[in-house]
Formats: sequence, C-alpha cells, structure tokens
Amino acid sequence: MDSFSNPSSGSSHQLSAQDLRNQLKNQLAIEYAQQFLETVGKKCFEKCVTKPGSSLSGNESSCISRCVDRYIEATGIISKALFSSQ
Amino acid sequence: MDLSDINSAEMQRFYSEEQQRAMVNEMVAKLTSECWDKCIKGAPGNKFSSSETDCLSNCAHRYLEMSMLIMKRFQSMR
Repeated sequence: MDSFSNPSSGSSHQLSAQDLRNQLKNQLAIEYAQQFLETVGKKCFEKCVTKPGSSLSGNESSCISRCVDRYIEATGIISKALFSSQ
Repeated sequence: MDLSDINSAEMQRFYSEEQQRAMVNEMVAKLTSECWDKCIKGAPGNKFSSSETDCLSNCAHRYLEMSMLIMKRFQSMR
C-alpha cells in the first residue's frame, strides 16, 4: 500500500527523481479527490437530504446520483468559462 | 537519488508547475462551489437547464471581472 516503502525501481532502495515526482503527483491527486468528495457530499446532502429519515429513500438516492453528475458537469462549465476566455 | 537532487533545476520546474496546477484546481473548485450555490436552485435534474448553464458560466466570468475591478480599486489607492 505505502508507495514510499516500495519504490518501483527494482531492488535498489534508491528513489529516482521520477519516482519522487510520481509520488508527489499521486499525493496531490489523492488530496484533490478527497477535497472534491467532501465538497460534493456537502452540496448534495444539502440539496437532497432535507429531512433525514431512518434510511435514505429511493428519491434521495437518485437525487444524490443526479446531484453528483451535475456537480461534476458544473465543474467542467466553470473551468471552460475561465480558460476558454471571454 | 541524491538529496541535493531534490532542489535541482528540473525539480524546481516540476514544483512550480504542480503548484500552478494546484492553484488552478483550487480556483475552479472555489468558483464551482460559489456559483453552484447561486445558480442551482432546487433539486438537481437529469440535465442543467440552459438558464442554469448560462448562470454558471456568467458567474465565473463576473467573478473574474470583479477581481480585476477590486485590483484596480486597490491600485488607485496607493
């Protein structure tokens, strides 16, 4: 599991610069995914679970899956708006 | 890998690229959160309406415009 203790470069315990870059990139990706998950959870709980019952209803579950799809879509719309200027 | 390699020019370039990427991601995430709250009223449907799509895109553009305005405002104070 822990990639730091298992460098991909053969039997050597030396970490190559490429390994270090890959591990940093992985770490950043994990960080980003966690942050994204937390935000989506917060937004969709707010929208879809307005009155928490004894379990998630079918309506709530399908609302949540639509909400997740829309939030991902919204992220795309915002990033397009910012970077395909004007 | 030698410890001094951690600060090699190549690695410095890598750090600043990744830093820039992270800043962009953060900006997009922040704006998406703000604009979602402003533009998406009610439960999310199977598709965004065109007014929701427009609102999200306008929201991002207006935020940029506002940032410029605030920057100018501060510059004029000096």
